[in-house]
Amino acid sequence: MNRGLLKLAVVGSRSSYGRLTGITGGVAVGVCLLLLLWGGANGLNARDDRGAWLRETGSPSVSIPTTAGDPTASGPATPVPLTAATVLMRANPVEVFRDQLINRRDFAALGSTTVKIPGIASPPAPGEYYASPALQHLIETTPQDQLGDRFGQFVGTIGEAALPGPDSLIVVTGATETELRQSGHAFLVSAFTTNPYGASAAAYSTVLLIGAIAVFFPVLLLISIVTGLGAAQRRERFATLRLIGASPRTISRIAAVETAVPSLIGAVFGVVLAAVLRPATAQITVNGTRMFEADLATGWEAATAVVVLVVTASSLVAAYRTSREGIGPLGVTRAMQERTPNAWRMVPLLAGLAAMITAVLLIRVLEVRVPWLESPLLIGGFALTLVGIVVVGPWLTQLVSRMGLRQARSAAAVIAASRIQRTPVATFRSVSGLVIAVFVVSVFAGASSIIQEAEAPAARPGLLQPASLHATVAAGSSQDQVAEAARRAGQLPGIRSATIGYGPAALNQRDAGPEIFLRAEDAPGLGFEDIPETEIVAVDSSFLHYWTTQPLVLTRAPAQNLDGLVPVVIVVAADGTPEAMDRARTALDGSGVTAIPATSPLDIKLQSSARLVQGLAVLAYLGMFVAIAIAGLSLAVATASAVLDRKRVLGLMRLMGMPVSVLRRIITREAAVPLLTVLLLSIALGFLVAWLMVTGINDTYRVTWPATDYFAALGLSLVLALAAVGSTFSLIRAGTAITATRFE
Amino acid sequence: MNNTLTLLGLLSREPSYGYDLKHSYDRYFGTQKALAFGQVYSTLARMVRDELIRALGEETGGGPDRKKYEVTPSGKARVHQWLFTPDTPSEALQSELFAKTVVALLIDDDADRLLDVQRSEHMARMRELTRLKKDADLLHVLMCDHGLFHIEADLRWIDLTMARLAQLKKELQGA
Amino acid sequence: MSTIDTRSPILSARGVRHSFGQTEALRGIDLDVHPGEVLAVMGPSGSGKSTLLHCLAGVLVPTRGSVTYGPSAGRQPVEISALSEPKRARLRLTDFGFVFQFGQLLPELSAVDNVSIPMLLGGTKRSEARRRSADMLDRLGLEGLGAKLPGELSGGQAQRVAVARALVTSPAVLFADEPTGSLDSLGSENVLTIMLELVREFGTTVVMITHDARTAAYADREVIVRDGVIGAGYRVSP
Repeated sequence: MNRGLLKLAVVGSRSSYGRLTGITGGVAVGVCLLLLLWGGANGLNARDDRGAWLRETGSPSVSIPTTAGDPTASGPATPVPLTAATVLMRANPVEVFRDQLINRRDFAALGSTTVKIPGIASPPAPGEYYASPALQHLIETTPQDQLGDRFGQFVGTIGEAALPGPDSLIVVTGATETELRQSGHAFLVSAFTTNPYGASAAAYSTVLLIGAIAVFFPVLLLISIVTGLGAAQRRERFATLRLIGASPRTISRIAAVETAVPSLIGAVFGVVLAAVLRPATAQITVNGTRMFEADLATGWEAATAVVVLVVTASSLVAAYRTSREGIGPLGVTRAMQERTPNAWRMVPLLAGLAAMITAVLLIRVLEVRVPWLESPLLIGGFALTLVGIVVVGPWLTQLVSRMGLRQARSAAAVIAASRIQRTPVATFRSVSGLVIAVFVVSVFAGASSIIQEAEAPAARPGLLQPASLHATVAAGSSQDQVAEAARRAGQLPGIRSATIGYGPAALNQRDAGPEIFLRAEDAPGLGFEDIPETEIVAVDSSFLHYWTTQPLVLTRAPAQNLDGLVPVVIVVAADGTPEAMDRARTALDGSGVTAIPATSPLDIKLQSSARLVQGLAVLAYLGMFVAIAIAGLSLAVATASAVLDRKRVLGLMRLMGMPVSVLRRIITREAAVPLLTVLLLSIALGFLVAWLMVTGINDTYRVTWPATDYFAALGLSLVLALAAVGSTFSLIRAGTAITATRFE
Repeated sequence: MNNTLTLLGLLSREPSYGYDLKHSYDRYFGTQKALAFGQVYSTLARMVRDELIRALGEETGGGPDRKKYEVTPSGKARVHQWLFTPDTPSEALQSELFAKTVVALLIDDDADRLLDVQRSEHMARMRELTRLKKDADLLHVLMCDHGLFHIEADLRWIDLTMARLAQLKKELQGA
Repeated sequence: MSTIDTRSPILSARGVRHSFGQTEALRGIDLDVHPGEVLAVMGPSGSGKSTLLHCLAGVLVPTRGSVTYGPSAGRQPVEISALSEPKRARLRLTDFGFVFQFGQLLPELSAVDNVSIPMLLGGTKRSEARRRSADMLDRLGLEGLGAKLPGELSGGQAQRVAVARALVTSPAVLFADEPTGSLDSLGSENVLTIMLELVREFGTTVVMITHDARTAAYADREVIVRDGVIGAGYRVSP
């Protein structure tokens, strides 16, 4: 192809600079987002990989031989000895500081142990601890009696290779073998797992892939929108080239090259931009911790792949579009009349949903696990659903506008409905970005609703008070030790009372009773109001469970004293300040008499089991924001070009006396009808898809009412749609002014 | 085309000899058919008789070709009347209108007005023909159309000439 | 010259001047339009004839001078050039009709809907508007074409739909800017004949811009605009 001709075609006029700049900028933003999101997904993966060792559960530290002939009865437990090939580990499920969970692992090891604990050189000796840098910083900046006293002597930090992120709070403490065995929660570990998701790894990678598709789709949409910028203007220019003798092939090639050049510049710029923005992106907190910058790096291979892919795809699409438009020497020869969409457009959507439903039916109803089939069904189904919404949109829009035209009463309604009915594909295209964004938002809102934070329980008599802590007493602790621990805790600032509950045996022992006995005088400290007139009262031991929601009543205990009973639990009532709570935790956990660390009913808020989905949800909300912004932008662009396309006829209508307000109403309706038609569908589909995904992973998850963020995002997208349409109002006035129809 | 009035118009520029008058005429209007000397002299004699022009003092060796003529006031009035009386649109009209325009430009009269006056006459005739077409049988309509298109051709010439008057005047006066 | 009418004009321009920035499109126009007359405005391109039409129709406000509209004996004359744009828009909608050279029909609307729009804007019920539109299309010889889109009609048919839209609100003045400019001779004649037949029947005043003498020959009177003024020798009043 002639170089001069090409130059002429690409930078033909000053106005084409705007278009080229638009393509370059749009592709740069798109590629930058792609790389950052890719990095983010990789980072989450890497993070979960590094944190995998925390999921190690080990093997029981005692063996319980089953009695021959009677499988239900079991013999006495015998300890499995600690060897050089194992370490004894206690995973502390609820080490809480303020409102943060600390991952605590207590270890006892032989000096000769060969087990390598991740991130540290050798197991800590009893009374010593290794902490992650973030935790150590926290320990150093907090009074000892609130946090530091829980762990002992600091001997070093845990290496980054064992930390999910720079903000991870992890502590590895040393303990004696006896201490750990006594707690009843010790396990033997010979090696640490590297599988971050346990048995549901396949399901999680499915979710990750679906999430990736959902987040990338709007970005691809952006790239496709910007490479189509100024298409009408380009058509005219191409017609001129055809007139002076260029062949259709030449035109297609020019189209490809003139898209490729700015795309390439934009893509390279996007790669640079992504690298520059990486440190800033790493500051975004996902699941309570920021990311290591290195985790976000995608490597030059990925960057090259993205650049090549984006440039190739965009130029091929440009060439294809141009050849399909059939630009002749006298302009577009093929009639621009749209083909009427028909019911076939439902096929991709239905197929997508069918695939996902099949997968869930297989898993849930037939209870067949066919991993090689499940994932493709779910992922493919999701992608098809996404495409299906875009495909079915014009058809639904046309159905609605056909009904609307029949009902139309005003001029604006007639004009808008007719326009939509004749050009449903074009009108829907302008809102497709928003519709997809809303769908993606709904999927993530639905999926992340399963990890909705539990409501903080209200203080009610008969239930454990929210601002209280309790710790069960370890077997074998003496009355005096427990009394001393309770007394000390009770004297701490901000602590209102420290009550000891009694029972026949420690709660983790086999002969523990169903009830806890208290001195009646202590009962008010626990928030009880109806207290029987007696010395000793009893309450069901479910009192201690956070999931108990029905208030319990105190009953008169059969005995009038505590003889023959042992202390089983210490309950501390605090004034609710975080400092008091942490002081009490530190005191109780450091007392050596507790079997489990002190817990508060509020702690449940901090525990979540669907970390990946939550992490993705953060990314998704970010992606959503971008998607919605892009969608709003594309709606504005599309609305503006809808006005400019009809500049002459709308200008003449104004000249005939049609008020500008009618024009505004026309433009608003043309955006609102397709948007509202498909919006409800995409919301419903979003939640359906979320439910399918979530139940496909784990049958204990339930999709519930989404978080307020969701409604905020939904509101934002509607506001943005309004703003996008509103921003074209000034254009309507100017574009259809009398001068627009002159000199033609 | 009225040769008499055209010659009278040319003469109203400045007094001239019959010989020069013939050459002026040939330059502007005689591209197809030059005027014969005899015709010029007989026309001049007729105009002298009608007191539209008169001969200036005879010069030595004077024959008819050595006589200088000038236009009389009544001759001037005759030219003016000729210029601003529109002619009924007809096929023969064009050369006359052309002559009028050139003469008007040469004697520095209002050629615009002359063309506008003619234009109105054309339009009036067109309106009349258009009215006649209404309720007429097709044969009659075709006849009217024939007339309309011819008048329209004249009108277009008038419009184009009007648009070129300034340039035309410059060219004629420079020559 | 001799037939100055004593009746008051329906449109009256006095000393109208209009400039677009530095360019002066109209340089002092006096013009009266008589009720019921068909006036042709001729003139070369760029002479200001469209600007004059826009000023007369209240689309543009003259930079100087005034345009007065005296609808009928029963109504007070209004100075259009002193009204606000919304009021002028309303006046254009109710009292004036417009026909342009091309591209004035909304391509997505059927012929009947296109004709209905001015009535809908005026608050007429849609069923009533559609009925009247269909009647008007019939009067213009477009029986059975009401459901067609503009793209499915011939140039002459589309132009007749535009005439139907302009006349369906029974305007007092019809402004036509090169109404047959994009039609061939026969199509042009058909549209003009039928349009003028109707306006004479309704008594509508017509101001029609044309550069075509055969079109102008349908008018009762013509003026020529040259360089922003009306050509000498043209009657500025009937």
